[in-house]
Amino acid sequence: MTRAPSALVAVDAGAATTAVALLGRPAERWRLAGSMAAPAGVDPVDILEVLAARVRAADPALADAIGLQPGEIEALPRLVSRSAAPRTLVAIGASRRSVAILESIAARTAWRVVGASTETHDPREMTELALRADVSAVLLTAGDPPGPDERASLDDLAGLVGAAARRRPELQVIVGGAIRRRRAWVEGLGEDPPGDPDRIVEAPAIGQRRHADEGLRAVLEGLLADPGDGRQALRATAASLADLLDRRVEIVEVGHNGGARAVAAPGAPGDEPTSSAVTTARGALVPPDPDDALVDQVLAWTTGSLDRHRMGDRLRDLRATPWSDGAGEGARLRLAAARAALARIAALTPELSALPAPDLTILSGGCFAAAPAAAVVLAAADAMRRTGATQLAADLARLLGPIGTIEDPVERRTLLADVAGDLLVPLGSVVLAAGLGARHDDGSVGRLVLEQDGATTRRELAAGDLAFLDLAPGATATATLELREAARIGRRTRHVSVAVSGGIAGLLVDLRDIPLRLPDRRDRRRSVLTAWSALAWPVDDR
Amino acid sequence: MSVVGGVPAGADLDAAADAGAVVPAGLSLIRARAIVIGPVEATFTIRPGDRPLVAHGEAVVRGAPLADRLRNARTEVVGGPLDADAGIPGTEWAAPPSRRHGEAVPERGELLFQSGGRWRIGTGDHHEPLEAPFAGIVREVRPGTAIGLRSPVRAVLGREVLAGPSAGRLEVIAPRDGEVRASEIDVSGTGAILVVGAHIDAEAITRARAVGVRGIVVASLGVKERRDVLASAKRGQAAVHGLPPFAILVLDGAVRRPIASPVMAVLEAVAGCPVAIVDDPPCLVIDDAEVELPVPEPDLVRVLAGPMAGVEGRWAGLAGPHRFPGGVVLEAGYVRFAGRAAVAVPLGDLERFT
Repeated sequence: MTRAPSALVAVDAGAATTAVALLGRPAERWRLAGSMAAPAGVDPVDILEVLAARVRAADPALADAIGLQPGEIEALPRLVSRSAAPRTLVAIGASRRSVAILESIAARTAWRVVGASTETHDPREMTELALRADVSAVLLTAGDPPGPDERASLDDLAGLVGAAARRRPELQVIVGGAIRRRRAWVEGLGEDPPGDPDRIVEAPAIGQRRHADEGLRAVLEGLLADPGDGRQALRATAASLADLLDRRVEIVEVGHNGGARAVAAPGAPGDEPTSSAVTTARGALVPPDPDDALVDQVLAWTTGSLDRHRMGDRLRDLRATPWSDGAGEGARLRLAAARAALARIAALTPELSALPAPDLTILSGGCFAAAPAAAVVLAAADAMRRTGATQLAADLARLLGPIGTIEDPVERRTLLADVAGDLLVPLGSVVLAAGLGARHDDGSVGRLVLEQDGATTRRELAAGDLAFLDLAPGATATATLELREAARIGRRTRHVSVAVSGGIAGLLVDLRDIPLRLPDRRDRRRSVLTAWSALAWPVDDR
Repeated sequence: MSVVGGVPAGADLDAAADAGAVVPAGLSLIRARAIVIGPVEATFTIRPGDRPLVAHGEAVVRGAPLADRLRNARTEVVGGPLDADAGIPGTEWAAPPSRRHGEAVPERGELLFQSGGRWRIGTGDHHEPLEAPFAGIVREVRPGTAIGLRSPVRAVLGREVLAGPSAGRLEVIAPRDGEVRASEIDVSGTGAILVVGAHIDAEAITRARAVGVRGIVVASLGVKERRDVLASAKRGQAAVHGLPPFAILVLDGAVRRPIASPVMAVLEAVAGCPVAIVDDPPCLVIDDAEVELPVPEPDLVRVLAGPMAGVEGRWAGLAGPHRFPGGVVLEAGYVRFAGRAAVAVPLGDLERFT
C-alpha cells in the first residue's frame, strides 16, 4: 500500500524570482512549514535544502513528523507553476482605427502587442515585423463587412500575412473578417502551405457592438493556454478560495512579464463559484524597454528627486535585474512602479472595477513580498480605488499559483482549506469613502467609531483624510462611519457599519478622491505624497 | 592565495564539494553570472530586401560578406517573375532585361507578396555589406529574418548591444571604475574596440565614431547616452554614404558602476587580440582560441544594486532574513568587503561568477 505523502513542495518559478514553499502534514491537515525565494535561475533544490535545514533546526519534531530527512528532499512530491515566457503578437489592420481596436482587445491578454496599419507602416515594414524572430503570432482581422477605411487594403494585407505564414512555418496566424476567402490570401500562403495547419486560426470579425470582441479575446487567450502557468492559475485559485471562505475574493498580481486580476464570488448553495479574470502583459512591474510614458507614470508616484533620465536608468535596471535593489530607496521605487502597474491593470479591467468591493483582496507578486505591510496597503489603496471595505492579504509564500495548477477542483479546495490560514498574510483592512469634498474644506466631515471586544475607539474625520488605525492581525471589529453629508461607501449613505479584520498594517481609513487627484505641480505633488508615505514607511531609515 | 572555508580561491565549488572541502553554505542561492560562453552561435538580423550572400553550411572568414543590406529599404510594386511558379515570397527578383529604357523600375529586390496580380518587393538604392565579424560556419540563412553563424571561439557576455555588429582589436584605455571623456579618445583608437570602464558620455561616443573607433565596451550606459547612440545610428543609416561599423557592448545596465573585476581580468587578458561585438547574444567574441582566460574565484561576490553597487567582497555565509533600510525584510548573506568584518547584504543584490 502506498503511503500518503506527508510533505509537499510548492515551486513558483517566476520570471524574476523562484519561490519554494514547504508544506507538511504532521497530523490530519497540511501546514505551511516555511517558504523562501531566490533570484530566478537559482536551482529550486538549493532553495529547498536551505529551507528544510531551517525547519529541522527550528522544529525537529515537525521535521521528523513530515519526514524531512537530509538526502530525501529531492524526492518530495512537487506542485510547480511557472511564468510562461512572454510572446509577441503583431496586430495588423487596414487602418489606425481597426488596429487600435485589435490592440485594445489583445491588451487584455498575456500577449505583448505590436500594432501596424497601412497608415503607419509600408508593406515591407509590416513584412519585417511578421518575420521578426521574436514574433510568435500575427493577427489580421477586419469588420464584417469591412469598414470604408479598410476595404482598399484588405487584399494587400491578406497577401502579406499569407506570404509571411508561408515563409515562417512556425508562425501562428489569427485571421478573421473573411480574410481566408480572399484570393490574395491563397496566393500568399500557397497551395501547399508548410507547417501545422492548426497554426492558422479563425478569429471573429471586429465587432461593432459592446462585448462582441470577447470572442477574439478568447481566441487569443486560447493560444496561450498553459495549465502550468501560475498567472493563468490564479482564476482557479480565486474561485476555490471564494467557495471555501464563502466570500467575494479578488486576486491582483503584478509580475515581471505581466499582471492579472481575478475576481470570484461564491455560488448559490449547490452551485459552482463564479469567476472572471484578465491577464495582461501591460500589468508587468516594468515592461520591456521602458519608455517616457512609463517613466512619467512611475515618477508620478515618487517623492525622491530623480529626473526623467535617472528614473529611466533605474527602471531599465529594475527590468534587467528585478530581484535586486529591494531595500531602502529601491523598495520605494519598486512600490512606485507597482502602483503604476496596478493602475494600468485597473484601467484595463473596468468591468471588474465596477463590481462591489470584494470581501478579501489578495496581492500577489514579488514586488509586494518584502515591503512594509502599511506601504503595500497604501499602494493598493492609491491605485485600486473603489469605495467600500475590503480586507487585504498577501500571498507571501507564493502558493496561489502552484495550488491553482491542481486540475481537480475538489482536491484544490481540500488543500486550500488546510493552508488558507497559513498562506494568506493579513495586511489589514481598507475602508474607502468618496464624495466628502476636498482636503481644503476645513472642519470635520464626521467620525469613525471602531468597536472591538467591547472597546470603542472614536476618530474625527476630515475631508481627504488618510489614517491608519491599530487593529491587530486576527482581530475583528466593526467600523461605523457617521458622516454629516452623504458619501459613497459602496452606496450613497451617511451612516454605515462594516465588519473589518486586522492585519500587520491595521485599518486604513481613506477619504481621498476617486479617482485620486494629485497636484500637477511636481513639488506640491511630492509634498502630498511625502505626507501620505510618512504614514506607511518607517521614518528613521530610508 | 586566499582560502575561504577550506576552498582555495579559483577552485571549482562543485569539485571542491565532491572532494569533501567545506563550501560556504548558501552560495548556491546567489544568482551565477556566466562571464565567458562558448562555442558562440551568433544571429545577425537581416530585413526584407537584404540579400544573403552565404549559404547554409558555408565556412566564412572574418570580414567575409554575409549579406548585402539596404540602408533605405522601401516597397515597390512590380509585375513579378515571368514564370508564375518562380513567384515565391522571400526569393530574389531581378528586373527582366526586356524592360523599356528609362522605365523607373528597380533592378532587383525581394519578393514580399502578391496582390491583384502584381508583386510587392522590398528594394532600395543604397547598399552596405554585412561582414562576418568573426570566422565561423553559417548555420542558418532565413531571407528577411536572420543569418546564423557558429564558431568554436569564446565570448564575454554582456547585457545588451547597441548598433553593430563590429570587429577590431581590443584596447583597454581606462580602469574598470574609470570614465572616458571625449578628449581622451584620439586616432590611435581607429579600428579598435575600446574598453572604457564604468561610464562614457555621449560626446565621447560621438568622437569615437568620428575617429573610426569600431566599438566600445562599457559597464553602464544611461538612457540619455543610449538615445544619442540610437539616433546617431539612425542618422548614419539614412546618410548617403553610411558610417563604418560601430557597436557598444553594455556589460551591466544603466546605472553607473565599475566593470566587475573577473570580467575586467578577462578583457585585460584579451587586450590586443581581434574581437567582435555581436548583439544576439549580446557579447564580445574573442576571435582567438589560444588566449588563456582567467577563471573567477568561486567565493567572489559583487553587489548589483543600491548604494554599494559594484563593490566586491568575499562570501561568508547565509545571514537569514534580515531587516534593511525602509523596514524591508530580505533574505541576506554575509559578505566581507576588503577584509573588514562581514556585513549582511540582500541575496538578490549579489551576483557570483562562473
